[in-house]
Amino acid sequence: MKRKHRGTRYFYIVTYIAMVLVTAIVTVGFLRVYLKNTPRKTGAQVYDKYYVLITDERDSSFWKSVYSGAYNFGLENNVYVENLGATLSADLSKEELMRIAIASNVDGIIVNAEETDTMRSLINEATAASIPVVTVNNDCVSSKRISYVGISNYTLGKEYSKQIMDIADDLFYRDAGVVNVAVLVSSAQTSGQSIIYSGIQENIETSDNYSAMVELSMVSVDDKNAFSVEESIRDLFIGEDIPDIIVCLNELDSTCVHQAVIDYNKVGRVHILGYYDSPEILQGIDRYIVDSTIRIDTTEMGEYCVDALISYDKVGYSNQFKDVDITLINNTNIKSYLKEQEEAKDDETP
Amino acid sequence: MRRHKFADLPLQIKITVIYILSSVLILGVNLSLLIGISTVSSRLQRTYEDNLYLNEISNSLDKVQDSMTRYLNSKSSDALEEYYLSDQEFRNIIEGLNSGITDSSYDLMQRNIKNMSDDYLDLVSQAIEAKRGRNVEKYRLRYESATEMYNYINIYIESLNNRQFEDNSKTYSEISVSLRSMQNVSLVVMFVVILLNVFAIVNYTGRLIKPLRTLSESANEVAKGNFDVDLPRVESKDEIGVVTSAFNKMVVSIRNYISQIRENMENERRHKEKELMMETHLKDAQLKYLQAQINPHFLFNTLNAGAQLAMMEGADKTYEFVQNMSEFFRYNVKHSDEPILLKDEIDLVDHYMFIINVRFAGEIKFIKQIDEDVLNVHIPGMILQPLVENAVNHGVRNVDYDKVITVSVRKDGSEVCVSVKDNGIGMSQETINDILIGNSKKHSDSMDSNGVGLDNVIERLRIFLDRDDVMEIISEGEEKGTEFIFRLPFEGDN
Repeated sequence: MKRKHRGTRYFYIVTYIAMVLVTAIVTVGFLRVYLKNTPRKTGAQVYDKYYVLITDERDSSFWKSVYSGAYNFGLENNVYVENLGATLSADLSKEELMRIAIASNVDGIIVNAEETDTMRSLINEATAASIPVVTVNNDCVSSKRISYVGISNYTLGKEYSKQIMDIADDLFYRDAGVVNVAVLVSSAQTSGQSIIYSGIQENIETSDNYSAMVELSMVSVDDKNAFSVEESIRDLFIGEDIPDIIVCLNELDSTCVHQAVIDYNKVGRVHILGYYDSPEILQGIDRYIVDSTIRIDTTEMGEYCVDALISYDKVGYSNQFKDVDITLINNTNIKSYLKEQEEAKDDETP
Repeated sequence: MRRHKFADLPLQIKITVIYILSSVLILGVNLSLLIGISTVSSRLQRTYEDNLYLNEISNSLDKVQDSMTRYLNSKSSDALEEYYLSDQEFRNIIEGLNSGITDSSYDLMQRNIKNMSDDYLDLVSQAIEAKRGRNVEKYRLRYESATEMYNYINIYIESLNNRQFEDNSKTYSEISVSLRSMQNVSLVVMFVVILLNVFAIVNYTGRLIKPLRTLSESANEVAKGNFDVDLPRVESKDEIGVVTSAFNKMVVSIRNYISQIRENMENERRHKEKELMMETHLKDAQLKYLQAQINPHFLFNTLNAGAQLAMMEGADKTYEFVQNMSEFFRYNVKHSDEPILLKDEIDLVDHYMFIINVRFAGEIKFIKQIDEDVLNVHIPGMILQPLVENAVNHGVRNVDYDKVITVSVRKDGSEVCVSVKDNGIGMSQETINDILIGNSKKHSDSMDSNGVGLDNVIERLRIFLDRDDVMEIISEGEEKGTEFIFRLPFEGDN
């Protein structure tokens, strides 16, 4: 009896405690789950430095890739790199973003510069405000930028000229006519593009066989307004003299030319030498629409920019010029390259 | 000892404790759920706080810009005053903005807004200063720069606002979902807890009431008159315990009273029996007294004298008759209250039959079938003769045919079987039963009796033999006679 009595008493105590516990656990558990699910407002990672990347084509895969390289390298060095303008609802120009960056008193600016007075004065203004500026891909030589990170445009020019000569050989044996080569340059005439052009020109002119066979021309593409690039490239195909070879010196041009060749049914008739390994261009090579493209190690490019700023911050100077590796991609190595890229796809960054 | 503490508390306190405990539990459940829900909803309310803050910044910025523009336009002291106020207000507000470098785009945008605002305020104050100094070129330039900066800041605020609004909306819907699921969970928890609570209360009150139920069952049994119920166990010292123990005491008392009453009744019964026996004995004594008055010695001596007279006169038959009479009465004198030998009883029957045959002029044939070896058994006095007398008076007296009475004594195993048989009018079974149960008065009212009835015979045999079925009466019907048989224990040769 006593045991039974005690047993029932325990039963009640246990039931009571169980009820209390059930409530407590459910409530606490729920709150925990809830708090976990709700985005945290504080406790974000804090960084020493804040650099910004300024470019006017921040949505292109080329610049995304550059940013990704810079961003990851920055994280390793306790530096936060922002793709300035990406978070803004308005579409601001490079110049405006430069002003914002200066007013925001960032710790460093990486800019896809151009040889204009405005850019030069902005870079100088930033430098005056103790903000070091690194130019990337396109330089502003006359400015007080601390470093330029980009490909060796001369080497690139030579690479293009080799490609042009190869294609010209083919065309020559088939047609015996003069091979028209159009090099697309931006209307702003950046120094980099000039150097590439002169690299191509020099190389062709110095080789006896080709100087007569190849007619090299510089075609300015209007990139001052939105959508104007695409329009001015289409103009090329509407005119009488459609070039045999089109050399593109940026990603957007490459993409537009690729599309225009398809649209105007000039595949095989117009040869494209692309720039950068965006998916469209790679696809074009894979389908024999684009002859070749230049792969630039964009990750390395981004890393170099941040590295230049960091070393400037530490020691007060950095290399004036940093050369980024380039690789030629054509239909001989496209398969293996695509495969490689597929494997490396997981290493993507925001 | 602590174990008993709660059980011994008064019922009211126990029930109150149960009520309070369950109320506290439900209250606790409600409170915790309420806290949970209020946490979530306060979070919900805070969702758009950031947006409100940004709007505040934007409004304050507009004020600065407006007041500057107005001052540059009109150079009014009102506008200047307003500028100073709004400048201070704006500075205060942007104080709350984040200024660190983190990987949160919100933080970075806030930082940039803050830095740009500082720059902007600087430009504005330079413009104001230049205006006061009438440096037209400078204040125009500063104004342009400030306005440009103002636009950038607005773009930033707008972008940040949009992004936050987007995120907050996402958060808001998430929280709403949480809130809804929290409500569902709350419902389920409440339901489960209430269910468990009810279960526990029903169980516990059942346990509390159980002794009461047992008590009421026992009380019902007692009410039906069954006092041998198991007494309910007293498990606590509360009211129920008190009632139970009182009930137990009551039942025990009632049991005691009943047994006492029974005992009293038994005593009374015994007392009455004694009284009755006393009465019987008294009557017996009275009878004896009356018998004694007859003075048989006198009768006996007188009869002897008569016999001698008859002998002297030579009247042999008269002598024999009187002699038999004398013997018959002597027997009465000699043996009235102690067991005698069967032989003596048979002798008495002989005398009686002689006397009777004188009266009946030898009409009755008397046959004796006697086993001489068993005549020494003991028998109470005046047993056989009344039976024969009964056979004469009620059996054969009024029949027309030859009257025969047979007395037989024979050994039957360990017993001696004595039979008195007549061939008279017989008896109905009803009469036999009446006689056997001692209700034979109506059959023995003859004046010719010596006074000893069949009842008496049977009763005395019963007492002597110490059993009830002492007499067997056989009658096969009307005019087929009656046989009385009784058996005596055979005592061997003594």
